[in-house]
Amino acid sequence: MAECLRQDMPPSGGYKPIYYKRIPAKTYFNGPALILGYFGITAGSCYLYYLNYASIQREELERRSAQFALYPLLLAERDREYMKQLRRNRDAEEDLMKNVKGWEVGTYYGKPIYRTVPKDTLIEPSYGEYYVHADYKDFAKRRHLAYWS
Amino acid sequence: MGITKDTVLPTEEELTVQEINLSGPALRAGAFHLGIDCEFENNEFILCRNELNDPRKCIQEGKAVTECALNFFRKVKKSCAGEYSQYVNCLDKSSTNQDFTVCRKTQAVFDKCMLDNYNIERPYYGYFTETKVHKTCRPKPEPEPPTVYEDATPGLPPDAEKLPAKYGSRFHWMW
Repeated sequence: MAECLRQDMPPSGGYKPIYYKRIPAKTYFNGPALILGYFGITAGSCYLYYLNYASIQREELERRSAQFALYPLLLAERDREYMKQLRRNRDAEEDLMKNVKGWEVGTYYGKPIYRTVPKDTLIEPSYGEYYVHADYKDFAKRRHLAYWS
Repeated sequence: MGITKDTVLPTEEELTVQEINLSGPALRAGAFHLGIDCEFENNEFILCRNELNDPRKCIQEGKAVTECALNFFRKVKKSCAGEYSQYVNCLDKSSTNQDFTVCRKTQAVFDKCMLDNYNIERPYYGYFTETKVHKTCRPKPEPEPPTVYEDATPGLPPDAEKLPAKYGSRFHWMW
């Protein structure tokens, strides 16, 4: 059996040397260049950001300006319609409660809601009061608009 | 509702005037020139509204605002109808939020027409956001007087005798 055994031996001339030397990656920039480049690019992009920001601010200012120019016109129209509707509401309440003895419009059997203010003061009603004679859908729509805008 | 029979409300006839029958883009297109043309009326109305905080007291001012705006849009219709409707169409259809920036060309045409015909120059973009001094003949509203309560506890007369404290100061360790 001893003749059959053959030991694995190194190749003739020996093994190649083990390659252990470090090969560093190729460097494109050195440290100072990287830091300066970081600051340079940041400064450049800050400038671009500023330009964009300024233009957005300008657009928003223009939108707001147009709204302010139209505001008196819209408010005047709204006020007129609002006062008409207040009168309609008061008439509707009077008509609705005409069979209730002792009922006075805007009060609870003659007892006013606001005692300390002069009688002629216009207390603007809340949405619920303003829409009390209207369809619920209209009220919900208005409330939705008011609360989410 | 807090609106009683004693609350004076204007009648339907007092409040009915011809309103501006224009859509949003149309109003927006004319906003800057309208603001210049009706600057006095607008400022007067907003001053009244903010000073008195009551829509019932500013009806005449509000009607003046609407009247002035109507006259302005009549003027636009008379001389710059084509340019105006072109600009309105652009504002309406070029963007989702009626952006001014995408309609500078049609805007320039409209501006030129307004300048040539009525000498109304478009103000710079932030003009209506600025604080301005408004010269007016409106009397200044009286400041609200201090509230007087009928049943308030009467105070001591000014010449009441002030005795020294019977048990000394509450802060006896200080003085």
